Amino acid sequence: MTTLTTISGLIQEVIGEDWDLEEEITLETTFSEDLELESIEFVSLAEKMQATFGDDVDFVNWLSEKELDEVIDLKVGDVVEFIDACRT
Amino acid sequence: MPHIAANGQELHYQLLGEGGEGDTPCVFAHGLLIDNLSSWYFGAAPLVATKRRAICYDLRGHGLSSQAAAGYDVATGAADLVALLDALELGEVDLAGQSYGALIALRVALDHPERVRRLVLCEAPLPPSRLEEMAGVLQADPDELLAMLPDSLREAFTSGKRRAKKAAQRLERLLTQTTLVADLQAEGDLPDEVLGQVLQPTLLLYGEASSCRGVGDRLGELIPDARLEALDGGHYLAAERAAEVGGIIQEFLDG
Repeated sequence: MTTLTTISGLIQEVIGEDWDLEEEITLETTFSEDLELESIEFVSLAEKMQATFGDDVDFVNWLSEKELDEVIDLKVGDVVEFIDACRT
Repeated sequence: MPHIAANGQELHYQLLGEGGEGDTPCVFAHGLLIDNLSSWYFGAAPLVATKRRAICYDLRGHGLSSQAAAGYDVATGAADLVALLDALELGEVDLAGQSYGALIALRVALDHPERVRRLVLCEAPLPPSRLEEMAGVLQADPDELLAMLPDSLREAFTSGKRRAKKAAQRLERLLTQTTLVADLQAEGDLPDEVLGQVLQPTLLLYGEASSCRGVGDRLGELIPDARLEALDGGHYLAAERAAEVGGIIQEFLDG
C-alpha cells in the first residue's frame, strides 16, 4: 500500500460520516481548502499517523515548525513526502 | 483519541514528549468557545515537550471532551483540571493557560500551591466578562462576533462549507444550550489581595494589541514573583505567535 493510500484512509476515518468528497484524494489535495479539515480533526489525524507509522514520524513537531500560512496551504503530497523521508 | 474520566467528564487529552526523570510535566489549558487543545498542540507545546512531557487537554464542552450542559465557571474548570492531574497521576506540574484557560490555571495555582511549580498566564482576562472579545459573544451579536475572530477563523466561518458549519454549530450549542454565557457573566474579578497570594514564579504573556493588555500590568504588579512579556499580537497570542511563545515558555520553565 502506498503512503498516499494509507493517508487517504486515515483522512476518511477522521472525517467519518461527514465524508462527501466526490473526487479522490491526490497529492495535490489541500487539507484546508479541499478537505475542510478542522484543527481538532488534524489532531486526530496526527494521532492516527503516529499509530500507523510509528514514533519515527513526528508529525506534530514537523507541523509546529511551520508558519500558520504554510499549515493552511498544506497539501496531502507534503505529508506523504515528509513520511517517506522519515522512513528511508 | 485518549479520553480520561475526570470530575464527571470524559476529557480528551494528548501527551507530547517523553521527558526525563525528575522533569516537571507541563499541562496546557486553552481558551473558551472557538478554541480547543490544537492551539497549544500544534503551537507552543511541541517545543516545550522537547525537554519535558507536555499534556494538552480539551476543556469540557470543547474539542473532543464531553459536551457538558453546565460547569463553565472557573471553579469547575479548576476542579476538572485537578481531577485530570489526579487521573493521569501527575503530582507536581507546571501549568500554562491561554485566556480563560489561564484563569483556570491561576485558580488551581492559588488553591493547590503544592501541585503547581510554575505558572504561565497567556492573555488572562480579568474579569473575563469585560474582555472585548468576550463581550461581543455575550451580546450574542453575530456580526460583532465575526469581526472579532482571527482572520483564518473568520474565513472559515464565512465560507459556508463543512468546517464553517461545524464551527458554527459548536458555537451555537455552547452559547444557547449550555450555561456558559451565564457562568461567564457571573464570573467576578479577583481581588488584589488574592493575586498577591500567588506563590509560584509566574510568566505573564500579553499581546500589545490585545484588549486585556492592561491586565498584564496589573498582574505584573500584584503577583510577587511575576515576569511580564508583551509581544506583538492580539488576544489569540498562543496561536498567533506560537513559536515565540513556545520559546519563552521553554526558557521560563527551565530557569
